[in-house]
Amino acid sequence: MAALRTLLYILVYPGILFLFLYSTFCEWFDRKAYARLQNRMGPTHTGRFGLLQPIADFVKLMSKEDVVPNAADRGMFNVLPLVGLAVVSTAALLLPIWNFDLAAPSVTSFSGDIIVLLYLLSLPTLVMFLAAWSSTNLFSTVGGTRVLTMLFGYEVPLFLSVLSPAILANSWRLAEIAAFYQKKPLLILPNLIGFGVAVIAVQAKLERTPFDIPHAETEIVGGTLTEYSGKKLALFRLMLDIEVVVSSALLATVFLAGFPGGGLLGFVQLVLKTLFVIFLLSLIRALTSRIRIDQVVSFAWKVLAPLAVLQLLIVILLKGFLK
Amino acid sequence: MKFQIPIGPQHPALKEPISLRMTVEGEVIRDADIRLGYNHRGLEKLAEEKTWIQNIYLTERICGICSHSHATCFVQGVEKLMEVVPPKRGLYIRYLVAELERVHSHLLWLGVAGHEAGFDSFFMYTWRDREVVMDLLEMVSGNRVHYAINTLGGVRRDLDAGQKAKILEGVAVLRKRSEYYFRIGASEPSFVARIAGVGRLSKGQAESLCAVGPTARASGITRDVRKDDPCAVYDEMDFEVGTADSGDVLGRVVVRVKELLESYKIIEQIIRKLPEGPIAVRAPRKAKPGEAVSRYEAPRGENMHYIKSNGSEKPERLKVRAPTLANYPATIEMLRNGFIADIPLIFAAIDPCICCAERVVTLVDVRSGEEMAVRLSDLRRRAAGRGPNALPKRNAAWPL
Amino acid sequence: MSDSDIIQGLEKDLGGKALELANPDRRRVFLKVAPADLLAVVTLLRDRYDCAYLATISGVDKGETLEVVYHFASRAANINVRTEVAKASPHVGTICPVIPGAILYERELQDMFGLVIDGLPDPRPLVTPDDWPAGSFPLRKDWKYERPEERIPGGKS
Repeated sequence: MAALRTLLYILVYPGILFLFLYSTFCEWFDRKAYARLQNRMGPTHTGRFGLLQPIADFVKLMSKEDVVPNAADRGMFNVLPLVGLAVVSTAALLLPIWNFDLAAPSVTSFSGDIIVLLYLLSLPTLVMFLAAWSSTNLFSTVGGTRVLTMLFGYEVPLFLSVLSPAILANSWRLAEIAAFYQKKPLLILPNLIGFGVAVIAVQAKLERTPFDIPHAETEIVGGTLTEYSGKKLALFRLMLDIEVVVSSALLATVFLAGFPGGGLLGFVQLVLKTLFVIFLLSLIRALTSRIRIDQVVSFAWKVLAPLAVLQLLIVILLKGFLK
Repeated sequence: MKFQIPIGPQHPALKEPISLRMTVEGEVIRDADIRLGYNHRGLEKLAEEKTWIQNIYLTERICGICSHSHATCFVQGVEKLMEVVPPKRGLYIRYLVAELERVHSHLLWLGVAGHEAGFDSFFMYTWRDREVVMDLLEMVSGNRVHYAINTLGGVRRDLDAGQKAKILEGVAVLRKRSEYYFRIGASEPSFVARIAGVGRLSKGQAESLCAVGPTARASGITRDVRKDDPCAVYDEMDFEVGTADSGDVLGRVVVRVKELLESYKIIEQIIRKLPEGPIAVRAPRKAKPGEAVSRYEAPRGENMHYIKSNGSEKPERLKVRAPTLANYPATIEMLRNGFIADIPLIFAAIDPCICCAERVVTLVDVRSGEEMAVRLSDLRRRAAGRGPNALPKRNAAWPL
Repeated sequence: MSDSDIIQGLEKDLGGKALELANPDRRRVFLKVAPADLLAVVTLLRDRYDCAYLATISGVDKGETLEVVYHFASRAANINVRTEVAKASPHVGTICPVIPGAILYERELQDMFGLVIDGLPDPRPLVTPDDWPAGSFPLRKDWKYERPEERIPGGKS
């Protein structure tokens, strides 16, 4: 029974099938919000309200011809989309959605899993860099170097701001952090600065405007993904979509008190809270323009990192005060 | 470590094919080289075989966005050669369409600048407003581009009271929105951070490299054909020439928005002062022998036509110099020591209308028997290697 | 300065170098000089007549000779300077030392008319493709183009 439940967990909810459907739904939501903010329609015709548009895009890409450039490193080029997809899907398993017991740590919920989740979320950046490097295309190389340069900027503020609520909750286990804030919802408020920093840092991790420098279409053609086409591109885009869902679920768990209530209620809370975070991300995307790579790094170290340290200070003082 | 990045001839940042070869070191551009010729259509040679009226049709198709400017510049010059003076009402309508075209072109450019900077929301908003101007132009002339409203001796369509009222309404709406864009362009921090200090061109450089249009005006040079060399309508209108001092892309945005606001003023004055009378006079078939230099302020800068006639019904020589060609040396200067990330912005800031800048014959010799379109055969020949009779390439190190 | 002031000033400053001087229309002055005096005249125009701005350079094929017209614009008038060279030896000196912005126009003249501009800092062809046959100058009057017969591959011709 437990084995069946675990299998269901990995494959269906919140495993691959659920992630596929939910991430395409979130992509639809993001595109619709972005379009409405720009006075356009967004996806409208495919399915009711255009809900099937991202799935249609995925299916179309899967059916296109797959071109591998001659000079590319074949092994890496072919395997990287699958590696990326595997990494983000594994990250999704660590979220405290359904199959976890607060009292007994298990494979999917243990002390320190917040660190593992953050680590798994920084692997896609490395995958993108390796994808760019193995493409041996001029534009991809520039995109790849930009991806890594951005990593130097946003990783530290992201880690600091996500770990602050963990310090306040006195635990390194996502399920316990969420339970702590469910019991004391007022303690969400001191973490608001961290929430702001985390949202901006996540926008940079997901390479969306104003941080979509690595795949800036008008400057370096396709950036990291210039040479990818067909099935590989479809899998990369799915990886990026699932990364959006996992990052926003992480932020919802740590800052917005997780998804209590077991199966059905937890699912509803998951949808509402992740959509809220994704709406914030779309808002930032619609309101700003792309900034340059040197400006990203200087912004991250001059503004985001000090704010994250400030948040940490507030949390430590509050903890001492509460004792 | 230096390596060379080719921008073009096909690139998402370029609306038309042009080849820029940049020598870069890291993210900094050390040198730039422009190669023209991908969009030639043989218009100057073709103009020598068509009559004066047919040439209006031809010059209008030099470009899509600034079509009226080429047609007007040509017609101005030919009317001088033929010693034909169009009636006042015709002139007013001609320059009304010219100012509407300037509004449409500047709104398009604002959107393109936003898109190149990554600010897609700005792009969507300005293009939504451009629809207002395109509807007005369609109401006046019947077409959204290529208005075809000029003829030798005047214009072809008249304006009635209802159309005049609609134009004034449309201009009022656009004026409110343009003032909003002025505020955004000058104060949205990520956009300003992106475009301030980029593509700097000092006043001395702009003068020695003979830059024209908003590119020159953003470096502090007040050079505007509407003020310097005015023809009938512009010296009766009250307007200012917009300039800026910063000499970078932000200055060019500011200059273009100022020009938008001035154009609204001019359009309102034209509509209010529109005189009654005929809209065209009859022009002769043949032009007297002579030569004429005709200048016109297109949205991108100064458009210059040199027309030489030998007394027949076809021109002896038509030389067109579009503003974008005059801005190329200035562009190369601006690209030096810039970042790669700024290439599309710098290039878009001169408002390139590449098809305007290339009009001379280039029908490539199809000696190898290829019968497909020019560009494809060119590329194919390069990819497949050289044939036994091919001449040695003059630019042998070209990376493409 | 009005047109007549400009004409009188040019006559005084250039003396014998001005072979023809005409004012056919308001604000348009046409001046003809010999090719050898070109650089000196352009320098004079730039320094004393506010002609730092060169609009363009046109070439005209007149049969036996090639005429080159330099269009300058000052705030007072448009001053157009022309010179004529024989087709047999079409050499003109460059004006780039005085007007750096003239480089692209002079390169285009080389491609289209076969003029040889001496002293150009960058003498590459501008608009013709790399495999353009040498000696073929499109804007000369005797250059004709024969359109090849259109063959549709795999279809009816």
